[in-house]
Amino acid sequence: MLHLELLIQGLIYGSMYAVIAVGLTLVYGLLRILHVAHAGLFALGAYLGLLITNATGSLVLGMLSSAALVGVGGMLIYRLCYQPILNRPPHVALIASIGLFIAMEEIFRLIFGPYGLTYQNPPLQSQIALGEIHLRAAELGMVIAAVVLLGILSYLSQSTRIGIAWRATVDDSDMAKSFGIDTIKVRYLNFFIGSGLAAVAGIFISLLSNLVEPTMGGVPAYKALAIIVLGGLGNVKGTLIASLLLGVVEAFGTIYIGSILDRDAIAFAFLIVVLMIRPQGLFAGR
Amino acid sequence: MIKKLALIVLAVGFSIPVLSGSSHAADTIKIGFNAPLTGFAASDGKSASEGAKLAVEQVNAAGGINGKLLELVIYDDQAKPAQAIPIANKLIGQDKVVIGVSGSYSGPTRSAAGVFQEAGIPYIAAYAIHPDITRAGNYVFRTSFLGQIQGRGGAKLVGDILEKKNVVIITLQNDFGKSLAAGFKSKAADFGIKIINEYEYSIKDRQFGSIVAKVKADNPDAIYASGYYFTAGPLVSQLRAAGVTVPIIGQEGYDSQKFIEIAGPASEGIIITTSLDRDSDVPETRNFIDAFEKRAGFKVDMVAASAHTAIMVAADALKRAGSTDPEALRKAIAATNLKASTGTISFNALGEVMKSVQNQVVKDGNWHRHSVIDDPALLAPPDK
Repeated sequence: MLHLELLIQGLIYGSMYAVIAVGLTLVYGLLRILHVAHAGLFALGAYLGLLITNATGSLVLGMLSSAALVGVGGMLIYRLCYQPILNRPPHVALIASIGLFIAMEEIFRLIFGPYGLTYQNPPLQSQIALGEIHLRAAELGMVIAAVVLLGILSYLSQSTRIGIAWRATVDDSDMAKSFGIDTIKVRYLNFFIGSGLAAVAGIFISLLSNLVEPTMGGVPAYKALAIIVLGGLGNVKGTLIASLLLGVVEAFGTIYIGSILDRDAIAFAFLIVVLMIRPQGLFAGR
Repeated sequence: MIKKLALIVLAVGFSIPVLSGSSHAADTIKIGFNAPLTGFAASDGKSASEGAKLAVEQVNAAGGINGKLLELVIYDDQAKPAQAIPIANKLIGQDKVVIGVSGSYSGPTRSAAGVFQEAGIPYIAAYAIHPDITRAGNYVFRTSFLGQIQGRGGAKLVGDILEKKNVVIITLQNDFGKSLAAGFKSKAADFGIKIINEYEYSIKDRQFGSIVAKVKADNPDAIYASGYYFTAGPLVSQLRAAGVTVPIIGQEGYDSQKFIEIAGPASEGIIITTSLDRDSDVPETRNFIDAFEKRAGFKVDMVAASAHTAIMVAADALKRAGSTDPEALRKAIAATNLKASTGTISFNALGEVMKSVQNQVVKDGNWHRHSVIDDPALLAPPDK
């Protein structure tokens, strides 16, 4: 029974990680940039979601408008921060991204204060019983949102023209261009979708803890990097599986080896073990 | 635009020190103050600096120190030990402060304490809990409880006052959580407490699903959980949401209105060991609470009260010493017997405070008095 509960907790953590990490792996696949500031957008999404929900009383409105605004924010980061330095070596963009992330954390602190914000009437707090297992609506919502959003994403990339254009651009940007694909549009779309997903993840996580704080992007900032390396850099399917695996390993690890390795260390120990056995990640990337 | 904004923010961030107080004239007496104004501990840095500024304003409004005004020199240490050493050197060498006060965590406070001791300038830790801080030497004092001592108080609260015997411990994995757990365990047997299990979590954790599931299976009579309001709020609400109804005992890290805001209805009935009594009728405490909430615009917390107390101890010693000679000041601090917002302050030979533990409980969305532990033998700090 306990193990089933831990497994479910692991899948909840895992779906949270998946929704965050997909945006990161999309950016890496397309531009070869480790987009650390993605975690800043995750926190921005949580802030906007909370502020709009508190102001209007509607979580749905908060979530949709936050995802859209943060999606645009991601596009702006691409246009203003990454595009001008795309022809530099990859570490230049990485450093810019880290700097941007730190600046975002401190801007959140200056604007919204250091104490963090809370929901006036936290939504999705009711309990749902699935047999013996009790889950909060927000936990269930997180999993459902992950399945639905990633399902839609998979459909888009497999079965629509824009999805095919996106995959072609990832495979070979020059070739795609010569076939008349607007690769710049693909990049904007890429940032819009990835950032919007991060915003949704940020909102669900803040519903679970009822707390939005300036540094809440800190953990996803590096854990999501570990996940996309595990999944084979740029490989979306690999990223999803790595997210779920890591979630489950953490859920059990917290209980059984928590006094030796803390939860965040578990992620990296797991990463090291996997890379020792499979240096290319669980699934070969590019 | 974002880059420019970031540059502006960075520029503002580095334009330290932040001078406070009414006058920058040469005839002020300077007190140095390090606190985490940015980074993960910025909320405690904000409370601490607000409490310290209030103390300085109050001293100055009452005529200052023997005719001279106090001036607070504040630096941001980001709660990082590596930042605290240059800050301590700057406070001593450049700003020529006569006393230093730490409004920060144990790591930076330990680092700075060594520098102040070396320079022979008194240094008072307001709420850092690591035992080695005062062991830096005879110029270093502490106006709050050691983690170990508060942990012992927690054991008495759980085993004796609440009479709960089967206990699960949930420990925050840093010096704060670990020393609380060590203190709790050292006295657990004396109060008939059996520790069923202990779990640890990192300060970055906000999701406690697996610990909650395991605690539910353990079925304890009470839970002794260390943490700060930003970890304890989510932890308590997640425990209650999973149907765990037994008493949860916290400590001064919970001591903030923000904890009640985060945990919401789940915070009702949570009891903590701390040093600020909201229902106190002691004028020093009452006046502080009223003045702080008027000045800061938010509810008082333990960190603010502790920083206020530490500055008041410094001001009181300056008055009694009648000079800013470091040795005279050190002796004056050591001889402190002052009623302050967190109780009556006096020090033992090591510079550790001796005072009683205030237990507070959440009732109707506010902290209120639950009980007081006044047991000098149980709460005796180490003297070497």
